Amino acid sequence: MANYFNSLPLREQLEQLGKCRFMHLNEFTDDVNALKGKKMVVIGCGAQGLNQGLNLRDSGLDVSYTLRAEAIAQKRQSWKNATENGFTVGTYEELIPTADVVLNLTPDKQHTAVVTAIMPLMKEGACLSYSHGFNIVEEGMQIREDLTVIMVAPKCPGSEVRAEYVRGFGVPTLIAVHENNDPKGEGLELAKAYAVGTGGHKAGVLMSSFIAEVKSDLMGEQTILCGMLQTGSLLCYDKMIEEGIEAGYASKLIQYGWETVTEALKYGGVTNMMDRLSNPAKIKAFDLAEQMKDIMRPLYQKHQDDIMTGHFSATMMADWANDDVELLGWRADTAETAYEKMPAGDVEITEQEYFDNGILMVAMVKAGVELAFETMTSAGIIADSAYYESLHETPLIANTIARKKLYEMNATISDTAEYGCYLYNHACVPLLADFMKDIKSDVIGRGLNLNDMGVDNARLIEVNHALRSHPVEDIGSELRGYMADMKRIV
Amino acid sequence: MIASIELRKLTVDFDSQFQLCDIDWQIQPGQNWMITGTNGSGKSALAAVLAGAGDHVQGELSGVPARVGVVSYEAQKELIEAERRKDDADILDVISEGTPVREIIDAVCVNPLLADQLIEQFGLGQLLERSFRKLSTGETRKVLLIRALTSNPDLLVLDEPFDGLDIQSHKMLHEHLTSIVGKTPMVLVLNRFDECPEFITHIAYLDSGKLCHQVSRSDTHAYNELYQLLHLKTSDLEVPAADPVSVLPALDPSEPLVRIKNATIKYDETVIFHDLSWTIERNQHWQLTGPNGSGKTGLLSLITGDHPQCYINDIFVFGFQRGHGETIWQIKQYIGYVSTALQWEYRVGTSLRHVIISGFYDSIGLYSKYTDRQRDIANEWLDLLGMRKRADEPFNKLSYGDQRLLLIARAMVKHPPLLILDEPCLGLDDMNRQRVLALIEKICAGSETAVLYVNHHPEDTIEGIDQYLTLV
Repeated sequence: MANYFNSLPLREQLEQLGKCRFMHLNEFTDDVNALKGKKMVVIGCGAQGLNQGLNLRDSGLDVSYTLRAEAIAQKRQSWKNATENGFTVGTYEELIPTADVVLNLTPDKQHTAVVTAIMPLMKEGACLSYSHGFNIVEEGMQIREDLTVIMVAPKCPGSEVRAEYVRGFGVPTLIAVHENNDPKGEGLELAKAYAVGTGGHKAGVLMSSFIAEVKSDLMGEQTILCGMLQTGSLLCYDKMIEEGIEAGYASKLIQYGWETVTEALKYGGVTNMMDRLSNPAKIKAFDLAEQMKDIMRPLYQKHQDDIMTGHFSATMMADWANDDVELLGWRADTAETAYEKMPAGDVEITEQEYFDNGILMVAMVKAGVELAFETMTSAGIIADSAYYESLHETPLIANTIARKKLYEMNATISDTAEYGCYLYNHACVPLLADFMKDIKSDVIGRGLNLNDMGVDNARLIEVNHALRSHPVEDIGSELRGYMADMKRIV
Repeated sequence: MIASIELRKLTVDFDSQFQLCDIDWQIQPGQNWMITGTNGSGKSALAAVLAGAGDHVQGELSGVPARVGVVSYEAQKELIEAERRKDDADILDVISEGTPVREIIDAVCVNPLLADQLIEQFGLGQLLERSFRKLSTGETRKVLLIRALTSNPDLLVLDEPFDGLDIQSHKMLHEHLTSIVGKTPMVLVLNRFDECPEFITHIAYLDSGKLCHQVSRSDTHAYNELYQLLHLKTSDLEVPAADPVSVLPALDPSEPLVRIKNATIKYDETVIFHDLSWTIERNQHWQLTGPNGSGKTGLLSLITGDHPQCYINDIFVFGFQRGHGETIWQIKQYIGYVSTALQWEYRVGTSLRHVIISGFYDSIGLYSKYTDRQRDIANEWLDLLGMRKRADEPFNKLSYGDQRLLLIARAMVKHPPLLILDEPCLGLDDMNRQRVLALIEKICAGSETAVLYVNHHPEDTIEGIDQYLTLV
């Protein structure tokens, strides 16, 4: 199989990368009708598979699960998940031929094997749905011409997909139609109905393309989302220890600090996050972020370039073929880091203290978000996609770190995210080594503790202007505006 | 300044008609108390004990000063009756003029200057020579107040002192009482919490002859709770109307609301219950009981659709045979629901008002544009709960009990055909439990809602429930 993206002419590559549109609620008036009475068969009963299925069934759709014969015979967890929730479970041979829509919700790594196995069993003219476009775009999986291929990707972990639905809401969802495989022209209608069935239309749906999804998703997850937070955690922790800060405090400041500062990011973008700092701290964070952006820019560019050329996916697939030797080795290394081994101390840290004593962390988030956004948009990805895959998702990973720290964070994110995260981390730690030499506890751990909080007006105006005029803030306030319209109560 | 007044395990009998039981209470110097409670709770009786009324059955009362100025309906009545007894007209056939007001006041007054001042302020100047018996109720009340205030008391016991006073006199009395704060300790009996003057430092709440709560004014949380309780107890408890615009699709009157046939819930090999059949007709009120783990909540969630095994059981709800293309929202629109699990799940940051409005949409949090009418209905509910002033405060900052009350209002707001209350009183304190039970009874008494009530506590019985299902 050849990389699909690379097989396209530049004109088409750019066109596909530039696809992303926020859809309005009134585009979903047909509800789930396009799927009503159709047989939906889910492959994979993990967190996404099970929870999407529960939502779809509660929306009045016909959902069943297909598992490999061994999983059924051995009554594995996936079998239990499906049967205890009252779903019909059957083998590929039993259920796939009856399916009008097959929902492939297995991990990326299994896609080629799964799709190869089920494709011959699928009904003429049925629909195959993905939650991630890696298999199509990077692995170049060729799908039978009579099949419709769509993507519906809730931008949240499976548990949230369910929890929000039960509340009567949903999670932001990206949909796409693989234009090579839309023989009846019904792909969009099916994808929309599917998004309604999971509740996604209430939280906001982005109409994108397989290519834009893959290229932006990979970039976001390996740089700012997972990579930057992992690298930042390790560097900030080690620096605090070096500066004589109590280890329990340092560990807690990191573990919960990302979540706290990115909560401000979620509500009001980089500007609001920076505005939470005192004026002298804000200027300090701004300067640190500018320095880090200069240092890290080539790294972000390399990641984006490797994603675009397919080098990244080729490297990762080679590791898949090699039993994940690299990935599992890195994962084990993470467990051995000083930060990971030090549990959060039993100390009170107020919400504001996370900002005041975490100036460097704020600067890292700012640098990472802006760099990822700038790099994506300069590579032809539309600002809307770049925003969602950088700024919008950062709080989700920060929340995972708050709950699980780094090792578990890596174990729960996708294969692609974890692999990319390690590549980034291995390059970024040495890259920032010199920069970190000049860092003291005033910007990480203790706060500035100034008696004189005065700043130069001209400098403050300059910094505020720079913050507010960054393009990620423009698109951010527009998209958050849409979201707020939909979710009137944030 | 007097020493503290102490009541220790005091039980007082009032003509065998009423008993104050086991009262433990201390009035420290510098404190001003308000006694409150519902009608018949014994608040006036407790005040009267300080004035020497009742027969002490057991316990001790100490520290009550010799001079107690008393104003109460009883004292007023006594004075009027004493006057009536003086009237010998029926025997002597002489028209008695009765005692003039001046004499009535002078009989106890030791501060004539103050008396003159109060007489003027109360506008009694014209009435001084008039017979006390001929005064109106409000006027006799004023005379009584003047007597109490000018007798140089060491303790003032004022039972509903503001009752029957016009606005001007009310204000004047309030000012005067405020001016003697610190000089004379006061115990006020007040029915209406909103009338609680600022100088009150402590509140005693009575119920059925027992002193149930003693709350310091500075304890804002406890004070608010008491405020709400009193507010609810003293209001008429009208359940706000439904939203006339959001009408549910009509149900077939010949069908039951719920029909479950031979249902089973099991996990792995563990069977929670099996072969359970149950039919809920319109307007039936049910109580569901059973020990922990007997599957009460599971059974309820088969009805609400929250249990995934509802799709593999024979369940008919609100006209839908489950698993035939209906959505969960088509089911939930007919149900109002409260449970501990719901409260756990209601973790979204939203305001008190929005929590109630979310009941119209069966959502946790509010994601729909609501109407002005729905907002007004929510406000009526907040009024009912005594929470209107806090309408915009965040729900998640409320006490557990207040959250529960709001969720109950949320469940009731749309007047659902089926109201499911899964241990609604769990974790509620006494006060809140009473409020909730009163509301449920009100709903049961109406005709539009079938109530399904789950509980463990036999004392939380609901008037109107006559159908029982017990799981084992």
